[in-house]
Amino acid sequence: MKQIFVIAEIFANQIRPVTWELVAAARVIEKNLPSQQSSPAIHVIVPADHPLPLAETIAQRTGMDVIGLQIPELKTEPFAKTIEEPQKGTKKHKEKGRKARWDCMWERGAPAPHGDSGSLARGSAYSGEIYISCIEQLAEELNPSHILIAHTPQGQDFAPGLAVGINAASVPAVNGIRTDEEGLIYSRPVFDNSRNLLVRPTQHRPVVLTVMPGIFKAAVGEEQKSGRLEIRDLPHQPAGYGDQRIRHRRTLKRSCENQALKEAKVIVAAGRGIKEKENLKEIFEFAQSFSSAAVGASRPLIDMKWIEYQHQVGITGATVSPRLYIACGISGSSQHLAGMKKAEFVVAINKNPEAPIFLHADLCIIEDVFEFIDVFLTKRGKSNGFYDFK
Amino acid sequence: MKILVCIKQVGDDGETNRFDVHALEEALDLKDQLQTQLSKSVVLDVVTVGPPGACKIIRRAFGMGADRGFHCVTEKPDFVSSFVTATRLAAVAQKEPYDLILTGIMSADMMAGQTGPMLAKILGLPCATSVIKTSVPSSDMTIEVERELDNGLRDCLTITMPAVLTIQAGINTPRYPKLSSMLAAGQKKIETFKELDLFPEPIQAREISIGTEYPKKTRSGRVLEGSLSDKAAEFLAFLKEKDLL
Ligand SMILES: Cc1cc2nc3c(=O)[nH]c(=O)nc-3n(C[C@H](O)[C@H](O)[C@H](O)COP(=O)(O)OP(=O)(O)OC[C@H]3O[C@@H](n4cnc5c(N)ncnc54)[C@H](O)[C@@H]3O)c2cc1C
Repeated sequence: MKQIFVIAEIFANQIRPVTWELVAAARVIEKNLPSQQSSPAIHVIVPADHPLPLAETIAQRTGMDVIGLQIPELKTEPFAKTIEEPQKGTKKHKEKGRKARWDCMWERGAPAPHGDSGSLARGSAYSGEIYISCIEQLAEELNPSHILIAHTPQGQDFAPGLAVGINAASVPAVNGIRTDEEGLIYSRPVFDNSRNLLVRPTQHRPVVLTVMPGIFKAAVGEEQKSGRLEIRDLPHQPAGYGDQRIRHRRTLKRSCENQALKEAKVIVAAGRGIKEKENLKEIFEFAQSFSSAAVGASRPLIDMKWIEYQHQVGITGATVSPRLYIACGISGSSQHLAGMKKAEFVVAINKNPEAPIFLHADLCIIEDVFEFIDVFLTKRGKSNGFYDFK
Repeated sequence: MKILVCIKQVGDDGETNRFDVHALEEALDLKDQLQTQLSKSVVLDVVTVGPPGACKIIRRAFGMGADRGFHCVTEKPDFVSSFVTATRLAAVAQKEPYDLILTGIMSADMMAGQTGPMLAKILGLPCATSVIKTSVPSSDMTIEVERELDNGLRDCLTITMPAVLTIQAGINTPRYPKLSSMLAAGQKKIETFKELDLFPEPIQAREISIGTEYPKKTRSGRVLEGSLSDKAAEFLAFLKEKDLL
C-alpha cells in the first residue's frame, strides 16, 4: 500500500501549527488520487530527540498514524533563558552598526540553567543533514508516493536535498492541489506572485512537496480514535563523514519592540515603490493624518537600511491585524501578505494595475502613490479643521 | 581558497537575480577579508546556466570583481526543473575543488529556492539556506554562519567546508560594478560549455509545467474610478464611513 508522509514541523520541542495544515493537504491528495490506486495510508513523521509526547499529541488530534523518529543528535539544551523570560541572564549581542538585540534561547552543550528541567528546558534542534538522512532511510523502507513538508525556513532547507536523495520530483511553495484526467496538478507562485505556475510531476517517482502555510485549513480537534503510534530508534548515520558537518551552536531571538505595529488601528506601509529613502517622510506624514496609525514597511526597505527592522511586516517580520492596512508601492509578495492578511480592510495604492496586491485588497487605487497622498492630504485638510498639514 | 558563486539572469531586462547579487557581494567581501587579514589567496569564480545572452551578467560580475566566469549555454525554455539546473551547475562546479559555493536564496522569477540545496546534495556537500551573516573562516576547515528562521529567530551554525550557502537579502549592501573593471572585463574570456558536452544524455526533468494562471482574489478588490481628486474623495468617504480616521 502506498504511503503519504507528512513531516511534522517541530521547533524547540513544540509542534508548529503548520503541521495541522500539512495533514489537511495530505487528505486532499489522498482524495484526489486516481481511483484505481488503493487508498494510501497517511503517516505523520515526527523527528525529535524525544518524540513520544509530540507524537502522542499528533495521533490524538489528527487520528493519523504517527511515526516518531527518535534521534538523539537533535537534542539541545536551553541556554540561560527562553522567550518567556527574556530579562534574566540573557546574552545580548550587539550587531555592527545596527541596534538589534539578540537573546540567546538555545545552545548546544550548555548546562541547563538552574538544575530545573521543566518541560521548557528541552529543545529539539533542527539539522538539515540529520533530517535528510533519517527521512531517506524511512522512505527507502516504506516507499511513500508523496512527502509533504512545510514551506517554511526549516522545510525549505531540507526538502530539496531530500528530493534529490530519494530521486523524487520536487514542487516547492504549493498553494493549490487539483486533478485532471492525467492526475494531480500543483500550483505555486512565480514572477513575484503575479502568476501561479501549474506543475505536474513526471510519473513513476515519489513527489516531495513543500506546502505554503495559511492555504489549507487545519482540520484538527480531538479525533474519536487516536492513530497508531510507533517510535523508531533511528540514530543518524552520517554517510561516511564521521562527524556532523553542520553543527548547531545556538539559536538567537531578536528582541524587538514592534508593539506599535501590533497595536495600531491603522498601518500605513511603504514598499520599494516609494523609490527613495527621503520619500519615507511623506509616508510618515500620511500616517499622521490618522488618529492612531503606525508606519510599516516591506522587507527590501529594511534590507536597504532605509528603516529599522521593527517596522517590517511579513513572514520574517511582524504579523499584524490592524483595522486598516494601506499598502503604498508594495507589490504583494506572499511573504509580505503572510504578515498583513488578517487586517480588517486592505487598501492598495500602486501604479501598476497588474500588481498582485490588488487581488488581496478591498479598495484598489491605481495611481502614483505620492500624487495620491498629496491630493488626499489636501482634501483631508480642507474637510477637517484640526488636521494641520504642512 | 576557491569560491564559486552561481548567478541567474531574470526579468525582461535581463538583470542579475537580486539575491545572487547579494551572494556575489558576500563572496567578494570574504575574499577581501581573507586576503587582507589572513594573506590568503582567493579565487572567485561565477557560473551561470542560461541562454547565450546570459553572458551579460557574467560581465557585470567581472565588473564587481569576480576573477573567472563560466557559462553553461542552454536554449531558453519556458520552465526549467530546479533539478536540471542544479545538475548542470554541479557538472561545472565539479571541475575545480571549491571550498565554498554561494547562491541566492531564490530567483525572483521562479521563486523555488531549490537550486542551492539540490546542488549541495548532488555534490554531497553540507548546505545552509537563508544565510544572513558569515564570519571569515579562520581555517580552511570550517565557516560560521547565521541562518534566518521565521519569528525573528536565527540559528548559528558551524559548517565544515566545502559547503554550499544560499544567501538572503539584507546580508550586505552590494557594490556597483566599476566602470574600469567593466571595461577591463570586456577583454576577459568567459569559458562556455555546451549542454551536449556536459551531458551526452539529456537530463530528465522531474516536473513539467502545464501553464500559468492568475492567482485568486482573496478580497473584493473594488477599483476606484475617475480623477485623482475623485479617488481621494471616495477614499476619504470610505475612511469616514468605517470610522478609520
Ligand atoms: C525567505 C524570504 C523571506 C521574506 N520575508 C519578507 C517579509 O517578511 N516581508 C516582506 O515584505 N518581504 C519579504 N520577503 C521579500 C519578498 O519576497 C518581496 O521581495 C518583497 O516583499 C517585495 O517588496 P515590495 O513589494 O516593497 O517591492 P516590489 O516587489 O519591488 O514592489 C514595488 C511595487 O511598487 C509599485 N510602484 C513603483 N513605483 C510606484 C509609484 N510611483 N507609485 C505607486 N506604486 C509604485 C510597483 O508597481 C510594484 O508593485 C522575503 C523574501 C524571502 C526570500
